[in-house]
Amino acid sequence: MTLTKVLSTAAISAACGLAAAVAVAQTTVNMINPLPRSTNFFPLVVGEELGYFEEEGVAVNLLPSDTSIPYVAFIQNGQADLAMLDPFETVNALLAGADINTVFEVMQNAPEGIAVPDASGAQSVADLVGTTVGLVSDRDRAFLQAALATKGHTIDEVDTVVLGESGPTLAAAMRDGAVSAISGAAPDWIALIANGIGTRLITPDELLVSPANTFAMNVDAIEDKRDAVTGFLRAWCKGMHAVTVNRDAVAEILKKNVPEEWEIEAAGQLYLDMSIGMNVSVTARCGDTQADVWAAIQPQMKAAGGIAEIVPVEDFLNDTYIEAADDFDRAEVADEINAWAAANM
Amino acid sequence: MPAPAMHGEGRNGVPLRTRRILMHAGIFLTLVLAWEIGARAGYLDPLFYPRPTAIVDSFIRIYITQGNIWRHLYVSLGLVFAGFAAGSILGIVLGSLVGFNALARRFVKPYVLVLEATPRIAVAPLLIAALGFGAQSKIAIIMLVCFFAPFINTLAGVVNVNEEKLELFNSLGASKFQILTKLVLPEAVPVIMAGERLALTASLSGVLVAEFIQRDQGIGSLILIYTRNLNMASAFACIFTLTVVGFLIFKGMEMLDRYIAFWNNETGMARVGAARKARWEN
Repeated sequence: MTLTKVLSTAAISAACGLAAAVAVAQTTVNMINPLPRSTNFFPLVVGEELGYFEEEGVAVNLLPSDTSIPYVAFIQNGQADLAMLDPFETVNALLAGADINTVFEVMQNAPEGIAVPDASGAQSVADLVGTTVGLVSDRDRAFLQAALATKGHTIDEVDTVVLGESGPTLAAAMRDGAVSAISGAAPDWIALIANGIGTRLITPDELLVSPANTFAMNVDAIEDKRDAVTGFLRAWCKGMHAVTVNRDAVAEILKKNVPEEWEIEAAGQLYLDMSIGMNVSVTARCGDTQADVWAAIQPQMKAAGGIAEIVPVEDFLNDTYIEAADDFDRAEVADEINAWAAANM
Repeated sequence: MPAPAMHGEGRNGVPLRTRRILMHAGIFLTLVLAWEIGARAGYLDPLFYPRPTAIVDSFIRIYITQGNIWRHLYVSLGLVFAGFAAGSILGIVLGSLVGFNALARRFVKPYVLVLEATPRIAVAPLLIAALGFGAQSKIAIIMLVCFFAPFINTLAGVVNVNEEKLELFNSLGASKFQILTKLVLPEAVPVIMAGERLALTASLSGVLVAEFIQRDQGIGSLILIYTRNLNMASAFACIFTLTVVGFLIFKGMEMLDRYIAFWNNETGMARVGAARKARWEN
């Protein structure tokens, strides 16, 4: 065997070994959230399409579920590393003794809202008193409670009915006046608007600035999973940044990866626009924890009866990952999303 | 007075089977046409009942142009068959045990009946919490849905064995194994197979329950996305897919039933008889 052949064989073996080592080095991050891969959480879909999670050595195992068991239970029993919680779930879990920290704010503008039909005379949530309000899920009761509290009312002053997530049920209830309003989230309105059922939001301004779908972790796991979660969040941030560079390319990526949400083009575009507003961080650092906002919303949550006590923000907000997650080359992401667009559009 | 039609032959020489197929097709097309006209004329609420032509468009899109249903269908069917197999094996084994053993019958049967009365959808989140996310908990949910029919039918088949035949076997000194293989099982197989048919069709409901809770992939997850987006034509295409799959599964089980319990039908007896005759002649 010639020296060249020996060296070539050795090089190929080394390359294969390295590739295997890289493959083995992938760490799985388990994340529980309400939806499968969706336009609603486009940073994940974009990050996966552009290979950012892979680059970080992270395999994302999404655990989308609608279960009666609180999500926090799944990070406590170790089945999930990260759980998407809303502020009510976070504070109530803390009050129940869960040893969790909020490490990243996926959405900094609340997707939750209260919608009325276009033709409705209701201009504020105060006008809903004495009527029947639809809830998309039982989790929306707390938000309605908080909204009514901003106008000095309680949840007992309205009748509530859980309508479920089914588009036809929501649309029929809204169209036929079975309910005066629906308390839900942005994705719930999109289908209605796209299908010509006019809706108008009467969400109190005080509740618009609120973190939502924040990532919570078990305190014990924060150090153990530092590298993997940092990589996961950095990849998420890159996916988030990509939309600010090339929105159309992101739309194409979503059409390719979640075609079922884009069969009605107008609905898909509307969904993306709403999702951009919710997902792109308003803080200087991507997904940063906002102590002032959490401190401001908790008294409202308490006044609404959604939480029993206020939890000091320093007890659960933890920005330990933020600096590293935000540390990436924006220009490189811009080049990559533009290159993807050039190759695929 | 015309002579009665020969077996298998209808009026005007058209075979009976062909006439039946044509009649079914006619009824189906009439219903679809009425639906289309009703939808176009505004008699049917478009929020709930999309036009059949829109559903056909969706079929083409999700199966051909977009092709996004295949991986979901593959996942769901895999779960259906895995859950069905697990539920059936458990049901038949436990049903046999309880059927043969009076003590087991006394202590196990009440628990199984209580389990059957418990709504699966209430138990499903607990199964996920116990078994974790992923295929294993989905299969467990489907297994739970599938288990009861094979269990109760196996139990009925084993317990209701013909007393006179049993006496005859005993008087001829047959061993327990001979009684099981030559009498009990052959008598019970048709009843067990009826349970299997029910279980396999029920497994489709089971997979939907599992996928409605764990929404990562599968037809159930796809239906949720479509209904949420008010894309009812595609949602109906998915639902009709399940209907067709359910029908095919049912017919498949019927064929399997005829094959396994061949002594219960003329065609099966003729097939096995011919095979045995050929074996003897060779």
